[in-house]
Amino acid sequence: MVAGSDHSVLVIGGGIAGIQASLDLGETGIKVHLVEREPNIGGRMAQLDKTFPTNDCSICILSPKMAECFRHPNITVHTYSEVKEVKGSKGDFFVRILKKARFVKEKECVGCGDCTAKCPVKVPDEFDMRLGRRGAMYFYFLQGLPRIPTIDKVHCLYLTRGVCGICKKVCKKDAVDFEQKDVELELNVGAIVVATGFDPFDPTGLSQYSYGRYRNVITALEYERLICSSGPTGGELERPSDRKPVETIAFIQCVGSRDVRNNPFCSSVCCMHATKEAILAREHNPNARSYVFYTDLRAVRKGFQKYVARGQEQYGVTYVRGRVAKVTEDDYENPIVWYEETRGSEMVKMKVDMAVLATSLVPRRGAVDLAKVLGVKLDEYGFFKTNPLSPLDSSRDGIFVCGSCREPVDIPDSVAQASGAAEKAAETVMRM
Amino acid sequence: MGEEIKTFKDLRKEVIDKGLCGKCGGCYSFCSAGELNALEIGEGDLPVYRDEEKCLKCGICYLICPQIDVLDDELKARFGWMPPIGSYQAISSARTTDKDVMDVCTDGGVVTSLLLYLLDRNQIDGAVVSRKKSPFAREPIIALTREDVVSAAGSQYSVSFHLEEIGGKYSTYSPILPSVKSLEKRYLTNIVVVGTPCQISSIRKMQCLGILPAHLIKYTIGLFCIESLSFDDLARKSLEKRFDINFDNIRKLNIKEDFIVTLSNGATVHIPLREVDEFARPACLACSDFSNEYADISVGGLGSPDGYTTTIVRTRLGEELFWNALKQGYIEEIAFRDSEERRLQKTKALAKIVSFSRRKRLRAENELRKLLGA
Repeated sequence: MVAGSDHSVLVIGGGIAGIQASLDLGETGIKVHLVEREPNIGGRMAQLDKTFPTNDCSICILSPKMAECFRHPNITVHTYSEVKEVKGSKGDFFVRILKKARFVKEKECVGCGDCTAKCPVKVPDEFDMRLGRRGAMYFYFLQGLPRIPTIDKVHCLYLTRGVCGICKKVCKKDAVDFEQKDVELELNVGAIVVATGFDPFDPTGLSQYSYGRYRNVITALEYERLICSSGPTGGELERPSDRKPVETIAFIQCVGSRDVRNNPFCSSVCCMHATKEAILAREHNPNARSYVFYTDLRAVRKGFQKYVARGQEQYGVTYVRGRVAKVTEDDYENPIVWYEETRGSEMVKMKVDMAVLATSLVPRRGAVDLAKVLGVKLDEYGFFKTNPLSPLDSSRDGIFVCGSCREPVDIPDSVAQASGAAEKAAETVMRM
Repeated sequence: MGEEIKTFKDLRKEVIDKGLCGKCGGCYSFCSAGELNALEIGEGDLPVYRDEEKCLKCGICYLICPQIDVLDDELKARFGWMPPIGSYQAISSARTTDKDVMDVCTDGGVVTSLLLYLLDRNQIDGAVVSRKKSPFAREPIIALTREDVVSAAGSQYSVSFHLEEIGGKYSTYSPILPSVKSLEKRYLTNIVVVGTPCQISSIRKMQCLGILPAHLIKYTIGLFCIESLSFDDLARKSLEKRFDINFDNIRKLNIKEDFIVTLSNGATVHIPLREVDEFARPACLACSDFSNEYADISVGGLGSPDGYTTTIVRTRLGEELFWNALKQGYIEEIAFRDSEERRLQKTKALAKIVSFSRRKRLRAENELRKLLGA
């Protein structure tokens, strides 16, 4: 404990930004409460297959940080929990947290997975972007921490109908507890770091892209799960309609972004994740050819332009400047991409095996409610509002924001902002 | 917990021991798909404990049994069921446009063609159907290719299909549901099941609960079904004598207004249904579903001229399937002189289906009353 501080910090959101902020604060000697809404920490980064521009395995570089959070003596992780109320002011916030019932005794469970293997319920798996299925008793994701399964009370047959109970019967540790209730925790913290991240924009409403109508039109986050070895296909890059290997792929950029009818802002990461996904397509299939249909190619950070060049030269990635007007389909479910070739100013169409939509990054569902609870302002797009010269300060003293909940950013930027927000929070509590 | 959950023991007492088990295989397919492995299909195709110790008393086999009515109201609400034949969008007489299918099918070959459409368009990974193993024995298969489907058509829809229609079971019965359990491992995640009302009902109950293996079943095609007949030697002899036929010379069986036996020499013998009712199993006599009221599409010969299949399109999914198969030229609707004739024929077909449904429902009520000793 650093001299002069007996205040702790609340970090909201257990993605890469929240994890980094917690670790930095913990290392400073400040007590941290990390609150995550989902059953495990990890966030969006845990869903990605690789990261740009190094092609590092995303979960491999995230996992050690997740584990460190749980091991750290100064960090208390509250998973499956939500912030319900915040009162007080900078230096002396009173926080009420709802810890939702998992129906599993965390102290007894050893994470063996006997219960999840036997759960007879099969529902779409949100972590796999609904491409796979999970039980009502489930692990949120393979490498998730803590390794404790959770019962989804909406689909559990015991909790809804009083039958089954197989998980409890097969548990050798008697760790399943159907009587478990939600509990409330009360915390007193000196500062708050908000790191709730983003949701992918739902392109269903943009009918020109035919998402939801054609099976071989998918979103970039779905693509990440498809090529991930822990994903629903075990990492086989097969198109959804017939499971044939994918050879030609269209990456359609700015879906919902830079669009005055939807999200006027640039989502900042899509040019690079499309480049990465196109490179990975070739790594999965040596015959793969990718076409990235872009508005402007934004490769603005260190090594990004080189990464694009590598894609072009070594991985058969073609960049086509032009916004896609529409996507249709032939009789064999091959998407046909209609676009304007801006160099020759002509309308062109291209038949591909699969189209991947780079959908915008929008604030997480619940950001509006959380802003109300925190008493902070959101900007016109729903991101947490900050000022240019104090980019990590929310509109309320003692509450700081970092990562994609304040604007769409990539992983290195999230981490940098998280460290910045942690420093600001530390400064706040250490002055108390 | 646990005391109040009804288990396989109750199922045995309330259904199997009373002869009410329709042998749909639902309980066993769930128990084995979930790798609980407490049940197996025993003598006479009836489910029995394989290892009672392994039974976790989850009570799911009990809930999904077609003869148990706990989930019936939920099923009715979910499918917008209404009397007398359940919810439906359209009734049509249709037939295949495929010469190969036409050669082997008995009615219109609509089921085979719908399966071919689904396979060709990658809407399914496979179809669970049953095909003839020997003249009076059938086995369930998972058809993965056009050839598989057509090979099942040769028997399913010439002999078995109509057997399904009269209850479909003759001296054999094909418990198709157990074959569903092995599907997921074969990387089949979208399948279609062609089955009798009890089989479809069991699948729908599993889907109500959201449990395996029914989560793999995307489409259900239901066969009209009056009853399952089981001819023992005595029954066979009696029928052979009364109607002067030799069972060994039967080429196909069908039912429309009556039980139609086509012999290998091409001659047909019509047997009134009441004459074969006595060979029906009690389970079928207690079943009230003739027209497969919870399937996506229900089919049968009743109500259509020779060479056509009466097709009842029920769900939104079924509607999409039927119209797409029609649009893509896999099947065609019967041509009518004018809209007046169309209306008349459809009304006639509907009337027949309604009358058979009423008859079956009434019979079930009587049978249940008898069984309950009232």
